[in-house]
Amino acid sequence: MSTFYSETILDHYAHPRNWGRLPSPDIVADNDDPSCGDQVHLEIALGPDGRVAQVAFEGEGCMISMASASLFTEHLQGKRIADLEGLTEEEVLGWLDAPIPPNRRRCALSPLIALRAGLAAYRRAAGG
Amino acid sequence: MDTARIRADFPALSCTVHSHPLVFLDSAASSQKPLPVLEAMERVYREYYANVHRGIYAFSEEATLAYENARDRVASFINARGREEIVFTRNTTEAINLVAYTWGRANIRPGDRILLTEMEHHSNIVPWQLLAQEKGAQLVYLPITDDGFLRMDLLDSLLDGQVKLVAVTMMSNVLGTINPVREIVQKAHGAGAVVLVDAAQAVPHMPVDVQDPDCDFLAFSGHKMCGPTGIGVLYGKEALLEAMPPFLGGGDMIRKVEWESATWNRLPWKFEAGTPAFVEGIGLGAAVDYLSGIGMEAIAAHERGLTAYAMERLSVLPGLSVIGPPAHQRGGVVAFTFRGIHPHDIAHMLDMEGIAVRAGHHCAQPLHRRLGLTATVRASFYLYNTAEEVDRLAQTLERVGETLGR
Ligand SMILES: Cc1ncc(COP(=O)(O)O)c(C=O)c1O
Repeated sequence: MSTFYSETILDHYAHPRNWGRLPSPDIVADNDDPSCGDQVHLEIALGPDGRVAQVAFEGEGCMISMASASLFTEHLQGKRIADLEGLTEEEVLGWLDAPIPPNRRRCALSPLIALRAGLAAYRRAAGG
Repeated sequence: MDTARIRADFPALSCTVHSHPLVFLDSAASSQKPLPVLEAMERVYREYYANVHRGIYAFSEEATLAYENARDRVASFINARGREEIVFTRNTTEAINLVAYTWGRANIRPGDRILLTEMEHHSNIVPWQLLAQEKGAQLVYLPITDDGFLRMDLLDSLLDGQVKLVAVTMMSNVLGTINPVREIVQKAHGAGAVVLVDAAQAVPHMPVDVQDPDCDFLAFSGHKMCGPTGIGVLYGKEALLEAMPPFLGGGDMIRKVEWESATWNRLPWKFEAGTPAFVEGIGLGAAVDYLSGIGMEAIAAHERGLTAYAMERLSVLPGLSVIGPPAHQRGGVVAFTFRGIHPHDIAHMLDMEGIAVRAGHHCAQPLHRRLGLTATVRASFYLYNTAEEVDRLAQTLERVGETLGR
Protein backbone atom coordinates (compact mmCIF):
# COMPACT_ATOMS: atom_id res chain seq x y z
CA MET A 1 0.00 0.00 0.00
CA SER A 2 1.17 3.53 -0.56
CA THR A 3 2.96 4.82 2.47
CA PHE A 4 4.64 8.13 3.00
CA TYR A 5 6.84 6.42 5.59
CA SER A 6 10.33 6.11 4.19
CA GLU A 7 12.46 2.99 4.56
CA THR A 8 14.46 5.02 7.06
CA ILE A 9 11.41 5.63 9.24
CA LEU A 10 10.22 2.04 9.07
CA ASP A 11 13.70 0.75 9.83
CA HIS A 12 14.36 3.05 12.77
CA TYR A 13 10.92 2.40 14.18
CA ALA A 14 11.34 -1.36 13.97
CA HIS A 15 14.95 -1.28 15.18
CA PRO A 16 15.49 1.72 17.42
CA ARG A 17 19.18 2.61 17.77
CA ASN A 18 20.79 3.46 21.11
CA TRP A 19 17.75 2.46 23.12
CA GLY A 20 18.15 2.72 26.89
CA ARG A 21 19.85 4.88 29.48
CA LEU A 22 23.42 6.02 30.13
CA PRO A 23 25.35 5.47 33.39
CA SER A 24 26.19 9.15 33.86
CA PRO A 25 24.66 11.48 31.30
CA ASP A 26 25.57 15.17 31.18
CA ILE A 27 22.39 16.24 29.46
CA VAL A 28 19.00 14.72 30.20
CA ALA A 29 16.05 15.81 28.13
CA ASP A 30 12.35 15.02 28.07
CA ASN A 31 9.41 15.96 25.98
CA ASP A 32 5.86 14.80 26.71
CA ASP A 33 3.11 15.70 24.31
CA PRO A 34 -0.15 14.98 26.11
CA SER A 35 -2.17 15.64 22.98
CA CYS A 36 -0.97 12.44 21.35
CA GLY A 37 0.83 10.71 24.19
CA ASP A 38 4.25 10.95 22.54
CA GLN A 39 7.06 10.77 25.09
CA VAL A 40 10.76 11.09 24.40
CA HIS A 41 13.54 10.75 26.96
CA LEU A 42 17.02 11.61 25.69
CA GLU A 43 20.37 11.24 27.47
CA ILE A 44 23.70 12.62 26.27
CA ALA A 45 27.20 12.06 27.65
CA LEU A 46 29.99 14.39 26.62
CA GLY A 47 33.56 13.25 26.08
CA PRO A 48 36.69 14.94 27.49
CA ASP A 49 36.86 17.04 24.29
CA GLY A 50 33.40 18.45 25.03
CA ARG A 51 31.84 16.62 22.11
CA VAL A 52 28.90 14.22 22.26
CA ALA A 53 30.33 10.81 23.08
CA GLN A 54 27.21 8.79 23.76
CA VAL A 55 23.50 9.26 23.21
CA ALA A 56 20.60 7.09 24.28
CA PHE A 57 16.85 7.39 24.21
CA GLU A 58 13.70 5.79 25.44
CA GLY A 59 10.13 6.69 24.65
CA GLU A 60 6.71 5.83 23.52
CA GLY A 61 4.79 7.23 20.63
CA CYS A 62 4.00 7.15 16.97
CA MET A 63 6.39 5.88 14.34
CA ILE A 64 7.54 9.30 13.28
CA SER A 65 8.43 10.48 16.77
CA MET A 66 10.21 7.23 17.64
CA ALA A 67 12.07 7.01 14.33
CA SER A 68 13.06 10.64 14.68
CA ALA A 69 14.42 10.04 18.19
CA SER A 70 16.36 7.00 17.02
CA LEU A 71 17.85 8.96 14.09
CA PHE A 72 18.65 11.75 16.51
CA THR A 73 20.87 9.53 18.62
CA GLU A 74 22.98 8.69 15.56
CA HIS A 75 23.21 12.19 14.15
CA LEU A 76 24.21 13.84 17.44
CA GLN A 77 27.38 11.74 17.76
CA GLY A 78 30.54 13.86 17.81
CA LYS A 79 28.76 17.19 17.84
CA ARG A 80 29.75 20.07 20.10
CA ILE A 81 27.29 21.84 22.40
CA ALA A 82 27.26 24.79 20.02
CA ASP A 83 26.29 22.43 17.17
CA LEU A 84 23.44 21.05 19.24
CA GLU A 85 22.26 24.54 20.00
CA GLY A 86 22.34 25.41 16.34
CA LEU A 87 20.38 22.36 15.22
CA THR A 88 17.44 23.43 13.05
CA GLU A 89 14.04 21.89 12.48
CA GLU A 90 14.79 21.46 8.80
CA GLU A 91 17.91 19.40 9.54
CA VAL A 92 15.93 17.08 11.81
CA LEU A 93 13.13 16.70 9.25
CA GLY A 94 15.77 15.96 6.60
CA TRP A 95 17.08 12.97 8.54
CA LEU A 96 13.69 11.26 8.21
CA ASP A 97 14.12 11.09 4.45
CA ALA A 98 10.41 11.62 3.75
CA PRO A 99 8.18 14.64 3.32
CA ILE A 100 6.55 15.22 6.70
CA PRO A 101 3.14 16.87 6.35
CA PRO A 102 2.46 19.92 8.54
CA ASN A 103 0.19 18.08 10.98
CA ARG A 104 2.92 15.53 11.74
CA ARG A 105 5.83 17.94 12.18
CA ARG A 106 5.17 18.01 15.88
CA CYS A 107 5.79 14.27 16.08
CA ALA A 108 8.99 14.54 14.06
CA LEU A 109 10.31 17.44 16.10
CA SER A 110 9.52 15.92 19.48
CA PRO A 111 13.18 14.93 20.17
CA LEU A 112 14.37 18.40 19.14
CA ILE A 113 11.95 19.99 21.60
CA ALA A 114 13.32 17.64 24.25
CA LEU A 115 16.91 18.49 23.33
CA ARG A 116 16.29 22.23 23.55
CA ALA A 117 14.77 21.87 27.01
CA GLY A 118 17.68 19.64 28.05
CA LEU A 119 20.27 22.13 26.77
CA ALA A 120 18.59 24.99 28.62
CA ALA A 121 18.70 23.00 31.85
CA TYR A 122 22.32 22.05 31.19
CA ARG A 123 23.29 25.68 30.67
CA ARG A 124 21.47 26.74 33.83
CA ALA A 125 23.23 24.02 35.83
CA ALA A 126 26.57 25.11 34.37
CA GLY A 127 25.86 28.60 35.66
CA GLY A 128 25.38 30.40 32.38
CA MET B 1 -33.40 6.50 3.37
CA ASP B 2 -31.89 7.18 -0.04
CA THR B 3 -28.21 7.61 0.75
CA ALA B 4 -27.21 8.17 -2.85
CA ARG B 5 -29.57 11.12 -3.09
CA ILE B 6 -28.42 12.49 0.24
CA ARG B 7 -24.78 12.25 -0.84
CA ALA B 8 -25.55 14.30 -3.93
CA ASP B 9 -26.56 17.14 -1.60
CA PHE B 10 -23.05 17.31 -0.09
CA PRO B 11 -20.53 18.69 -2.60
CA ALA B 12 -17.52 17.84 -0.42
CA LEU B 13 -18.37 14.14 -0.54
CA SER B 14 -17.47 13.90 -4.21
CA CYS B 15 -13.95 15.20 -3.63
CA THR B 16 -10.85 13.15 -4.27
CA VAL B 17 -8.16 12.98 -1.60
CA HIS B 18 -4.66 11.68 -2.42
CA SER B 19 -6.15 10.30 -5.67
CA HIS B 20 -8.85 8.34 -3.83
CA PRO B 21 -12.53 9.15 -3.48
CA LEU B 22 -13.03 10.74 -0.06
CA VAL B 23 -14.41 8.53 2.70
CA PHE B 24 -15.37 10.99 5.40
CA LEU B 25 -15.64 9.29 8.79
CA ASP B 26 -15.12 12.24 11.12
CA SER B 27 -18.57 13.77 11.39
CA ALA B 28 -18.54 13.53 15.17
CA ALA B 29 -15.88 16.24 15.05
CA SER B 30 -17.72 18.28 12.45
CA SER B 31 -20.09 17.30 9.65
CA GLN B 32 -20.08 18.17 5.96
CA LYS B 33 -22.60 20.70 4.68
CA PRO B 34 -25.49 20.15 2.29
CA LEU B 35 -26.38 22.53 -0.56
CA PRO B 36 -29.51 23.98 1.10
CA VAL B 37 -27.33 25.27 3.96
CA LEU B 38 -24.67 26.69 1.65
CA GLU B 39 -27.34 28.28 -0.52
CA ALA B 40 -29.28 29.78 2.39
CA MET B 41 -26.13 31.50 3.64
CA GLU B 42 -25.03 32.66 0.23
CA ARG B 43 -28.50 34.08 -0.37
CA VAL B 44 -28.18 36.28 2.72
CA TYR B 45 -24.86 37.67 1.59
CA ARG B 46 -26.04 38.23 -1.96
CA GLU B 47 -29.63 39.29 -1.54
CA TYR B 48 -30.50 40.78 1.84
CA TYR B 49 -27.42 41.22 3.99
CA ALA B 50 -27.66 43.87 6.72
CA ASN B 51 -27.21 43.93 10.47
CA VAL B 52 -30.12 42.50 12.45
CA HIS B 53 -32.32 44.08 15.14
CA ARG B 54 -31.27 47.61 14.14
CA GLY B 55 -32.04 48.99 10.74
CA ILE B 56 -35.35 50.54 9.82
CA TYR B 57 -35.02 49.41 6.26
CA ALA B 58 -35.96 46.42 4.17
CA PHE B 59 -32.69 44.48 4.20
CA SER B 60 -32.31 44.67 7.95
CA GLU B 61 -35.90 43.69 8.51
CA GLU B 62 -35.59 40.73 6.19
CA ALA B 63 -32.35 39.56 7.82
CA THR B 64 -33.85 39.95 11.30
CA LEU B 65 -36.92 38.01 10.29
CA ALA B 66 -34.87 35.19 8.76
CA TYR B 67 -32.62 34.99 11.83
CA GLU B 68 -35.46 34.93 14.35
CA ASN B 69 -37.36 32.52 12.17
CA ALA B 70 -34.35 30.19 12.23
CA ARG B 71 -34.43 30.42 16.02
CA ASP B 72 -38.07 29.36 16.03
CA ARG B 73 -37.29 26.35 13.85
CA VAL B 74 -34.43 25.36 16.14
CA ALA B 75 -36.83 25.70 19.09
CA SER B 76 -39.38 23.37 17.55
CA PHE B 77 -36.62 20.95 16.40
CA ILE B 78 -35.81 20.21 20.07
CA ASN B 79 -39.36 20.87 21.28
CA ALA B 80 -38.55 23.97 23.33
CA ARG B 81 -41.55 25.99 24.47
CA GLY B 82 -40.54 29.10 22.57
CA ARG B 83 -37.79 31.33 21.21
CA GLU B 84 -37.12 32.77 24.70
CA GLU B 85 -35.48 29.45 25.55
CA ILE B 86 -33.08 29.38 22.57
CA VAL B 87 -29.89 31.38 23.11
CA PHE B 88 -27.51 31.39 20.17
CA THR B 89 -23.86 30.93 21.12
CA ARG B 90 -20.77 30.11 19.10
CA ASN B 91 -20.86 26.40 19.93
CA THR B 92 -21.47 23.85 22.68
CA THR B 93 -18.39 25.01 24.53
CA GLU B 94 -19.59 28.59 24.72
CA ALA B 95 -23.08 27.46 25.74
CA ILE B 96 -21.67 25.49 28.68
CA ASN B 97 -19.37 28.36 29.65
CA LEU B 98 -22.34 30.72 29.56
CA VAL B 99 -24.11 28.60 32.17
CA ALA B 100 -20.96 28.28 34.27
CA TYR B 101 -20.29 32.03 34.24
CA THR B 102 -23.84 33.20 34.86
CA TRP B 103 -25.98 30.57 36.55
CA GLY B 104 -22.89 29.05 38.15
CA ARG B 105 -21.51 32.26 39.64
CA ALA B 106 -24.92 33.19 40.99
CA ASN B 107 -25.79 29.80 42.44
CA ILE B 108 -22.69 27.81 43.34
CA ARG B 109 -21.34 28.40 46.86
CA PRO B 110 -18.30 27.15 48.78
CA GLY B 111 -18.73 23.48 49.62
CA ASP B 112 -21.30 22.84 46.89
CA ARG B 113 -20.72 19.95 44.54
CA ILE B 114 -20.96 19.68 40.79
CA LEU B 115 -21.51 16.15 39.51
CA LEU B 116 -19.96 15.25 36.16
CA THR B 117 -19.23 11.86 34.62
CA GLU B 118 -15.97 10.19 33.66
CA MET B 119 -16.93 10.27 29.99
CA GLU B 120 -17.28 14.04 29.57
CA HIS B 121 -15.66 16.06 26.80
CA HIS B 122 -13.17 18.69 28.02
CA SER B 123 -15.77 21.36 27.27
CA ASN B 124 -18.03 19.85 29.93
CA ILE B 125 -15.19 19.59 32.47
CA VAL B 126 -12.97 22.65 32.26
CA PRO B 127 -15.68 25.36 32.68
CA TRP B 128 -16.75 23.57 35.89
CA GLN B 129 -13.17 23.33 37.11
CA LEU B 130 -12.82 27.10 36.68
CA LEU B 131 -16.10 27.69 38.50
CA ALA B 132 -15.24 25.26 41.30
CA GLN B 133 -11.84 26.91 41.80
CA GLU B 134 -13.41 30.33 41.95
CA LYS B 135 -16.17 29.32 44.34
CA GLY B 136 -14.43 26.73 46.47
CA ALA B 137 -16.83 24.10 45.18
CA GLN B 138 -16.00 20.48 44.51
CA LEU B 139 -16.22 18.37 41.36
CA VAL B 140 -17.44 14.80 41.68
CA TYR B 141 -17.36 12.29 38.84
CA LEU B 142 -19.86 9.50 38.27
CA PRO B 143 -17.59 6.57 37.33
CA ILE B 144 -17.97 4.39 34.26
CA THR B 145 -17.69 0.63 33.86
CA ASP B 146 -14.84 -0.86 31.83
CA ASP B 147 -17.23 -1.38 28.92
CA GLY B 148 -18.20 2.28 28.89
CA PHE B 149 -21.50 2.58 30.77
CA LEU B 150 -22.23 5.02 33.56
CA ARG B 151 -22.25 3.42 37.01
CA MET B 152 -25.93 4.22 37.55
CA ASP B 153 -25.85 2.11 40.72
CA LEU B 154 -23.71 4.84 42.31
CA LEU B 155 -25.85 7.78 41.29
CA ASP B 156 -28.13 7.86 44.32
CA SER B 157 -25.26 7.89 46.77
CA LEU B 158 -23.44 10.65 44.87
CA LEU B 159 -26.55 12.85 44.75
CA ASP B 160 -26.14 13.82 48.37
CA GLY B 161 -27.93 17.16 48.69
CA GLN B 162 -24.61 19.00 48.30
CA VAL B 163 -24.83 18.53 44.54
CA LYS B 164 -26.25 21.68 42.96
CA LEU B 165 -25.60 20.83 39.34
CA VAL B 166 -25.33 17.67 37.28
CA ALA B 167 -23.65 18.11 33.88
CA VAL B 168 -23.77 15.03 31.70
CA THR B 169 -23.35 14.13 28.07
CA MET B 170 -26.31 12.58 26.26
CA MET B 171 -23.93 10.61 24.07
CA SER B 172 -20.20 10.07 24.51
CA ASN B 173 -18.09 11.28 21.59
CA VAL B 174 -15.55 8.53 22.29
CA LEU B 175 -17.44 5.50 23.59
CA GLY B 176 -20.64 6.15 21.70
CA THR B 177 -22.60 5.35 24.85
CA ILE B 178 -26.09 6.81 24.91
CA ASN B 179 -26.72 7.73 28.51
CA PRO B 180 -29.98 7.24 30.45
CA VAL B 181 -30.54 10.97 30.75
CA ARG B 182 -34.20 10.63 31.73
CA GLU B 183 -33.32 8.65 34.85
CA ILE B 184 -30.42 11.01 35.66
CA VAL B 185 -32.67 14.06 35.38
CA GLN B 186 -35.37 12.50 37.56
CA LYS B 187 -32.91 11.57 40.27
CA ALA B 188 -31.05 14.88 40.09
CA HIS B 189 -34.27 16.86 40.35
CA GLY B 190 -35.32 14.66 43.25
CA ALA B 191 -32.09 15.66 44.98
CA GLY B 192 -32.63 19.35 44.21
CA ALA B 193 -29.95 19.66 41.51
CA VAL B 194 -30.17 21.46 38.18
CA VAL B 195 -29.21 19.41 35.11
CA LEU B 196 -27.20 20.53 32.08
CA VAL B 197 -27.15 18.11 29.17
CA ASP B 198 -24.29 18.19 26.68
CA ALA B 199 -26.16 17.21 23.54
CA ALA B 200 -23.35 17.97 21.05
CA GLN B 201 -23.41 14.35 19.84
CA ALA B 202 -27.13 13.82 20.33
CA VAL B 203 -29.02 16.62 18.58
CA PRO B 204 -27.28 15.94 15.22
CA HIS B 205 -27.99 12.22 15.32
CA MET B 206 -31.25 11.38 17.07
CA PRO B 207 -34.58 12.92 18.03
CA VAL B 208 -34.07 15.14 21.10
CA ASP B 209 -36.90 16.59 23.15
CA VAL B 210 -35.82 19.04 25.85
CA GLN B 211 -39.08 18.45 27.73
CA ASP B 212 -38.55 14.70 27.94
CA PRO B 213 -36.17 14.26 29.68
CA ASP B 214 -36.98 17.46 31.50
CA CYS B 215 -33.60 19.21 30.95
CA ASP B 216 -32.83 22.52 32.64
CA PHE B 217 -30.06 23.38 30.19
CA LEU B 218 -29.02 21.67 26.98
CA ALA B 219 -26.15 22.60 24.68
CA PHE B 220 -25.24 21.72 21.10
CA SER B 221 -23.24 22.95 18.08
CA GLY B 222 -24.48 23.81 14.59
CA HIS B 223 -21.35 22.59 12.83
CA LYS B 224 -21.87 18.98 13.87
CA MET B 225 -25.40 18.90 12.41
CA CYS B 226 -24.88 20.05 8.82
CA GLY B 227 -24.85 23.71 9.87
CA PRO B 228 -22.01 26.23 9.70
CA THR B 229 -19.29 26.86 12.26
CA GLY B 230 -19.67 29.77 14.67
CA ILE B 231 -23.23 29.02 15.74
CA GLY B 232 -24.37 26.89 18.65
CA VAL B 233 -27.32 26.72 20.96
CA LEU B 234 -27.99 26.94 24.65
CA TYR B 235 -31.46 25.80 25.53
CA GLY B 236 -32.51 26.92 29.02
CA LYS B 237 -35.79 26.88 30.87
CA GLU B 238 -37.24 30.34 30.72
CA ALA B 239 -37.45 30.81 34.50
CA LEU B 240 -33.79 29.85 34.92
CA LEU B 241 -32.62 32.10 32.08
CA GLU B 242 -34.77 34.94 33.40
CA ALA B 243 -33.15 34.76 36.83
CA MET B 244 -29.59 34.56 35.51
CA PRO B 245 -27.32 37.58 35.26
CA PRO B 246 -26.15 38.36 31.70
CA PHE B 247 -23.03 36.81 30.18
CA LEU B 248 -21.26 39.30 27.92
CA GLY B 249 -22.14 42.98 28.02
CA GLY B 250 -22.58 45.23 25.02
CA GLY B 251 -25.01 46.10 22.28
CA ASP B 252 -28.17 44.11 21.63
CA MET B 253 -28.33 42.63 25.13
CA ILE B 254 -29.47 45.86 26.80
CA ARG B 255 -32.79 47.64 27.14
CA LYS B 256 -31.54 50.95 28.50
CA VAL B 257 -28.01 52.18 29.22
CA GLU B 258 -27.13 55.01 31.61
CA TRP B 259 -23.66 56.29 32.49
CA GLU B 260 -23.41 54.05 35.54
CA SER B 261 -25.67 51.13 34.80
CA ALA B 262 -27.92 49.38 32.33
CA THR B 263 -30.97 47.17 32.21
CA TRP B 264 -31.23 44.02 30.18
CA ASN B 265 -33.04 43.11 27.04
CA ARG B 266 -35.69 40.38 27.05
CA LEU B 267 -34.86 36.73 26.54
CA PRO B 268 -33.12 35.36 24.62
CA TRP B 269 -31.30 38.53 23.48
CA LYS B 270 -30.17 39.29 27.03
CA PHE B 271 -27.49 36.65 26.40
CA GLU B 272 -26.53 37.75 22.90
CA ALA B 273 -24.24 40.75 23.14
CA GLY B 274 -22.97 42.39 19.98
CA THR B 275 -23.73 41.62 16.35
CA PRO B 276 -24.65 37.94 16.36
CA ALA B 277 -23.55 35.32 13.83
CA PHE B 278 -26.89 35.76 12.14
CA VAL B 279 -25.89 34.43 8.73
CA GLU B 280 -24.73 31.29 10.51
CA GLY B 281 -27.97 31.26 12.50
CA ILE B 282 -29.90 31.32 9.24
CA GLY B 283 -27.64 28.52 8.00
CA LEU B 284 -28.46 26.51 11.10
CA GLY B 285 -32.15 27.04 10.41
CA ALA B 286 -31.62 25.56 6.94
CA ALA B 287 -29.72 22.63 8.48
CA VAL B 288 -32.58 21.93 10.86
CA ASP B 289 -35.03 21.97 7.93
CA TYR B 290 -32.78 19.63 5.99
CA LEU B 291 -32.48 17.14 8.86
CA SER B 292 -36.20 17.34 9.65
CA GLY B 293 -37.00 16.69 5.99
CA ILE B 294 -35.14 13.39 6.19
CA GLY B 295 -36.33 12.64 9.71
CA MET B 296 -34.23 12.20 12.83
CA GLU B 297 -35.63 8.69 13.43
CA ALA B 298 -34.52 7.65 9.96
CA ILE B 299 -31.07 9.19 10.48
CA ALA B 300 -30.67 7.44 13.83
CA ALA B 301 -31.73 4.11 12.31
CA HIS B 302 -29.31 4.53 9.40
CA GLU B 303 -26.43 5.23 11.79
CA ARG B 304 -27.37 2.28 14.01
CA GLY B 305 -27.20 0.00 11.00
CA LEU B 306 -23.83 1.34 9.88
CA THR B 307 -22.42 1.17 13.38
CA ALA B 308 -23.48 -2.44 13.82
CA TYR B 309 -21.95 -3.29 10.45
CA ALA B 310 -18.72 -1.44 11.28
CA MET B 311 -18.41 -3.20 14.64
CA GLU B 312 -18.88 -6.52 12.88
CA ARG B 313 -16.36 -5.77 10.14
CA LEU B 314 -13.73 -4.28 12.45
CA SER B 315 -13.96 -6.73 15.32
CA VAL B 316 -12.77 -9.61 13.10
CA LEU B 317 -9.47 -7.84 12.38
CA PRO B 318 -6.87 -9.52 14.58
CA GLY B 319 -5.54 -7.16 17.25
CA LEU B 320 -8.29 -4.60 16.85
CA SER B 321 -10.26 -3.70 19.94
CA VAL B 322 -13.21 -1.37 19.98
CA ILE B 323 -13.81 0.56 23.20
CA GLY B 324 -17.28 1.14 24.58
CA PRO B 325 -20.61 -0.67 24.56
CA PRO B 326 -21.96 -3.20 22.05
CA ALA B 327 -23.42 -1.90 18.79
CA HIS B 328 -27.07 -1.85 19.82
CA GLN B 329 -26.30 0.38 22.81
CA ARG B 330 -24.27 3.10 21.11
CA GLY B 331 -24.52 5.91 18.62
CA GLY B 332 -22.49 6.23 15.44
CA VAL B 333 -18.97 6.43 16.80
CA VAL B 334 -16.49 3.56 16.92
CA ALA B 335 -13.17 4.23 18.66
CA PHE B 336 -10.53 1.54 18.64
CA THR B 337 -6.92 0.55 19.08
CA PHE B 338 -5.18 -1.72 16.58
CA ARG B 339 -2.16 -3.99 16.99
CA GLY B 340 -0.20 -1.50 19.05
CA ILE B 341 0.10 0.87 16.10
CA HIS B 342 -0.03 4.48 17.23
CA PRO B 343 -3.38 6.06 16.26
CA HIS B 344 -1.62 8.91 14.44
CA ASP B 345 0.14 6.42 12.19
CA ILE B 346 -3.13 4.62 11.47
CA ALA B 347 -4.97 7.86 10.70
CA HIS B 348 -2.14 8.94 8.48
CA MET B 349 -2.09 5.72 6.48
CA LEU B 350 -5.87 5.86 6.12
CA ASP B 351 -5.60 9.45 4.93
CA MET B 352 -3.20 8.36 2.21
CA GLU B 353 -6.05 6.15 1.00
CA GLY B 354 -8.59 8.98 1.17
CA ILE B 355 -10.18 7.90 4.46
CA ALA B 356 -10.65 10.63 7.07
CA VAL B 357 -10.80 9.44 10.68
CA ARG B 358 -9.84 11.05 13.95
CA ALA B 359 -6.81 10.02 16.02
CA GLY B 360 -5.98 11.21 19.50
CA HIS B 361 -7.84 11.67 22.75
CA HIS B 362 -10.86 13.36 21.13
CA CYS B 363 -10.91 16.06 23.83
CA ALA B 364 -11.45 13.44 26.51
CA GLN B 365 -8.06 12.97 28.16
CA PRO B 366 -9.42 11.95 31.58
CA LEU B 367 -11.61 9.30 29.92
CA HIS B 368 -8.67 7.88 27.97
CA ARG B 369 -6.59 7.81 31.15
CA ARG B 370 -9.44 5.99 32.91
CA LEU B 371 -9.37 3.39 30.13
CA GLY B 372 -5.57 3.11 30.33
CA LEU B 373 -5.07 4.59 26.87
CA THR B 374 -3.42 7.75 25.58
CA ALA B 375 -5.11 7.79 22.22
CA THR B 376 -7.53 5.93 19.98
CA VAL B 377 -8.63 6.00 16.36
CA ARG B 378 -12.25 7.03 15.91
CA ALA B 379 -14.51 6.48 12.92
CA SER B 380 -17.86 8.25 13.14
CA PHE B 381 -20.88 8.01 10.89
CA TYR B 382 -23.59 10.31 9.68
CA LEU B 383 -26.58 10.25 7.37
CA TYR B 384 -24.38 10.30 4.25
CA ASN B 385 -22.09 7.38 5.08
CA THR B 386 -22.48 4.00 3.44
CA ALA B 387 -21.72 0.34 4.04
CA GLU B 388 -19.23 0.50 1.13
CA GLU B 389 -17.31 3.14 3.05
CA VAL B 390 -17.20 0.86 6.07
CA ASP B 391 -15.86 -1.87 3.77
CA ARG B 392 -13.13 0.45 2.53
CA LEU B 393 -12.20 1.30 6.10
CA ALA B 394 -12.00 -2.36 7.09
CA GLN B 395 -10.05 -3.40 3.99
CA THR B 396 -7.60 -0.55 4.32
CA LEU B 397 -7.11 -1.19 8.02
CA GLU B 398 -6.26 -4.76 7.23
CA ARG B 399 -3.50 -3.56 4.92
CA VAL B 400 -2.31 -1.01 7.47
CA GLY B 401 -2.00 -3.89 9.93
CA GLU B 402 0.08 -5.88 7.46
CA THR B 403 2.34 -2.91 6.70
CA LEU B 404 2.85 -1.43 10.15
CA GLY B 405 1.71 -4.01 12.67
CA ARG B 406 4.23 -5.58 14.98
C1 LIG C 1 -19.74 15.47 23.58
C2 LIG C 1 -19.18 16.78 23.11
N1 LIG C 1 -19.30 17.87 23.88
C3 LIG C 1 -18.83 19.06 23.50
C4 LIG C 1 -18.19 19.24 22.31
C5 LIG C 1 -17.65 20.60 21.97
O1 LIG C 1 -18.24 21.11 20.85
P1 LIG C 1 -17.70 22.49 20.24
O2 LIG C 1 -16.25 22.27 19.95
O3 LIG C 1 -18.51 22.67 19.01
O4 LIG C 1 -17.93 23.53 21.26
C6 LIG C 1 -18.03 18.14 21.48
C7 LIG C 1 -17.34 18.27 20.17
O5 LIG C 1 -16.23 17.97 19.94
C8 LIG C 1 -18.53 16.88 21.88
O6 LIG C 1 -18.38 15.80 21.12
